[in-house]
Amino acid sequence: MKYVIDRVFERYAEPETIARIVDYTDMTQMWRSCVKQYSDLPAIDDGKVYTYGELDALAAGVRGILAGAKVEKGTRVGIFMPNSVQFVYSFIGCTTYGATAVLIPPQLDEMTLFGFSMKYALDTILTVDAMMGKTGVLMAKRPGFRLLNVSAGSDTTAPDCECDPDSPCAIMFTGGTTGQSKGVILSHRAVMRGTKNGCYGFNGIFNQRNFIILPMTHVFGLVRNTLTSLYTGSVLHVCRDNKEMFKEIAMFRPTVLVLVPALAEMALNISRQFGKNMLGPDCRYIICGAASVPPYLVREWKKLGVTLFPGYGLTESANLVSGNPDCLEHPDSVGYIYDGMEVKVVDGELWLKGPNMLLGYASEPEEEKRAFSDGWFRTGDLVRFDEDGRLYITGRIKEIIVLSNGENISPAELETKFSEIDCIQDCLVYSKVIDGREYLTLEVLPRPAVIAAVPEAEREAFIREQIGKVNATLPSHKQINRIVIRTSDFKRSPSMKILRKQD
Amino acid sequence: MDRKQILDKLKQILSFSFGESSELLDKCTEESDLVTDLGLNSVGMLFMVISIEEAFQVSFSNVNFSDFRTVGDVIDFIEANRK
Repeated sequence: MKYVIDRVFERYAEPETIARIVDYTDMTQMWRSCVKQYSDLPAIDDGKVYTYGELDALAAGVRGILAGAKVEKGTRVGIFMPNSVQFVYSFIGCTTYGATAVLIPPQLDEMTLFGFSMKYALDTILTVDAMMGKTGVLMAKRPGFRLLNVSAGSDTTAPDCECDPDSPCAIMFTGGTTGQSKGVILSHRAVMRGTKNGCYGFNGIFNQRNFIILPMTHVFGLVRNTLTSLYTGSVLHVCRDNKEMFKEIAMFRPTVLVLVPALAEMALNISRQFGKNMLGPDCRYIICGAASVPPYLVREWKKLGVTLFPGYGLTESANLVSGNPDCLEHPDSVGYIYDGMEVKVVDGELWLKGPNMLLGYASEPEEEKRAFSDGWFRTGDLVRFDEDGRLYITGRIKEIIVLSNGENISPAELETKFSEIDCIQDCLVYSKVIDGREYLTLEVLPRPAVIAAVPEAEREAFIREQIGKVNATLPSHKQINRIVIRTSDFKRSPSMKILRKQD
Repeated sequence: MDRKQILDKLKQILSFSFGESSELLDKCTEESDLVTDLGLNSVGMLFMVISIEEAFQVSFSNVNFSDFRTVGDVIDFIEANRK
């Protein structure tokens, strides 16, 4: 079977659009091209609008600050700031200077920031006024640390430089669904390929109005939401206060939103409550990923005139591995693999190679050994492809339940199946021993908007009946034999993933 | 609008998130803890705040989610800030 279909995404846009999507191999090459093409166009709007030309001057100022502090090329430079225009020009300035941008989560506290600087061998951090209150411990314990505040701007500038495509561009942190946070080292080539992959899937990607609420330190926020926006000459509105997101959306009227499923569902519920599409009259597309995307969201957003594209990606792949432009016909798929990737499926697990893949992990040699086999990156995700080359995620290899009868069960595979039921918002599959007997248990959180239409007294029976129908389609050893219906949400990780361990 | 009416309207808002028949709504009182009793996560809090702003014409511009521990805290805020 052929897993990567050459140029498949070219079917979904006009040839003139496709011709404008070109390969860059480093940030400097891409940014020079952006400034040349879009100099007078708005690039960032955070209440004040900055053009591409103005952003370029601010990035040159950041290079001036780095040069003034005698930071050598190739040095790891932390970026410690919330989503802001400063974040964007600091990232551009740092990477086009030839330094590696280490994207430090802004929610870190004082002690953790210090520990982080030690673990990742940082001696330079770019920051802003608002974060200075968290730098006390770091500065007390590490005299001579270069803490560079970009808030006041810079009188000096320094030139950009061409970067080796295979040199580190950024280090980003991923929690994953298991274990500890890992620092993923991405090359310039990888970041550029990830940025380009974000351009495919629908017509009219250039000159859009984008909106960012996801953290810029997260791969989805940085690559798809921010860098693809810059690549395409679009303007990016930086949401200043999440509580005000719908007011800011109403003012700015974005055409494209990049959301995680939990936010896409929240926006749907709010829209229902107020009886109008809260993403505004101009929003045509939602790019949705970073967690499993329920087909329900694709169908329900379509009713409001918005196409929601599910995608699949990892921090280790500089964001997108696949995207689903046929989402209306196949809402349960994460779509086609992007050009340039090599794919194999080993015992059901997806293995990847390609220009967008990580160089390695920072300070985690054991993790690195586990993640690679013969130069292939092992995603840990169990997958299948249909005959047209569409990818489906069926589970996580690390979450296999081995039942007492020796059968291996992938809870995520079953969760995906049961999540396709409209009245189920979220679910968890696990094994539970009660009075010496083992039950393969399905715990579900009903979707209020759907069960509201069912008379209260009949709801439980309705939910059980829907589950029973799906259960009957499964091979007998995979059928669940206990159902728990929740009335409150599951315990979740900070990134909104359901914790496997709920006790 | 008295505190009882505000509480009823809050429950109505939360029903969009929990479902109308949820036992949580029956048990929801001024003493209910938003996180440990009602199970609100960060997106759930965001949903509640945005809905309250619209329903009660108040603004949460200068406050943090962490300022509110119980349903009563939210009602205090609404009472103090309603236009």
